[in-house]
Amino acid sequence: EVEGAPSAPLDVRCLDANKDYIIVTWKQPAVDGGNSILGYFVDRCEVGTTHWIQCNDTPVKFARFPVTGLVEGRSYFFRVRAVNKIGMSRPSRVSEPVAAMDPADRARMRGTSAPWTGQIIVTEEEPAEGVVPGRPRELQVTEATKNYLVLSWKPPGEKGLEGVMYYVEKCVSGTDSWQRVNTEIPVKSPRFALFDLAEGKSYSFRVRCCNSAGVGEPSEPTEPTTVGDKLDIPSAPGK
Amino acid sequence: RVTEDPPVNKSQVKKFAVAEGKHAKFRCFVTGKPKPEIIWKKDGVPLEPGRRHLIFEDREGYYTLKVLYCKVQDTGLYVCAASNSLGNTLSAVHLSVKGPAVQFR
Repeated sequence: EVEGAPSAPLDVRCLDANKDYIIVTWKQPAVDGGNSILGYFVDRCEVGTTHWIQCNDTPVKFARFPVTGLVEGRSYFFRVRAVNKIGMSRPSRVSEPVAAMDPADRARMRGTSAPWTGQIIVTEEEPAEGVVPGRPRELQVTEATKNYLVLSWKPPGEKGLEGVMYYVEKCVSGTDSWQRVNTEIPVKSPRFALFDLAEGKSYSFRVRCCNSAGVGEPSEPTEPTTVGDKLDIPSAPGK
Repeated sequence: RVTEDPPVNKSQVKKFAVAEGKHAKFRCFVTGKPKPEIIWKKDGVPLEPGRRHLIFEDREGYYTLKVLYCKVQDTGLYVCAASNSLGNTLSAVHLSVKGPAVQFR
């Protein structure tokens, strides 16, 4: 800092932003160093970079400057330096970021934001904790007769590390009350036959995986199936 | 899908170590609207969910990668890359998997 030079300008902000220019304003520094301020230099820095560019070649007298040469849609920080005959002030505090875009586009973009990722934290875990398996996939009713109904599904993409077993749940359509069908023992194969469904009633089904670590989230439920209305749904050839 | 990531300054990347045979859990908090798409990569190669790689969003909203039963070959640079219609960004860490300290001959 040069003795006799002004202190840094204050309160740098954006007065008006468009895709072609952003008008930046500021307040004059509290201290002019005993010599009147000859003018100001405005610097810009694209958000995400550390590269400051001086916007005006000669000092501007008024505490307001339209910055041009911006890339539409990009965001910029601004800072201002004051100059008197002794020298240059330190840069002001940096403005809030301002996007070079028209007000209509800004309104349209409101409520959106570019992604931000925090520091990744890594922790070590004991394998003994176990992994609960994921959701079964592609659950479907493959057969529905008056007497029984057959479900089939595929194992979850992530199985955990041991063998996976399954619990089947049913729900009378129109209610949200899921009931486990095989209450005692989980089934080992990705198929299940149900008997004793009430004829004429409509049911949805879903399946959960389990292993020694616990019971996983349920699969997507099936479409409601009315018992008795379908007889031996033909399966696709080759399945 | 190939995405061009900004270069990672390896000297500034945080380093973590886990013991061979243990699980390594990577957690990364991500913001953005619309909700960003997340890709985990090791040494530039996208990781798919699989037997040893669990990829999910945990209950607290952290994007999580779990590498199970770490092997020495799992050592490398891990990146969480996030992208949406407004842009893309990433965070990186280096994982070292330490073998047993004493080697018997």
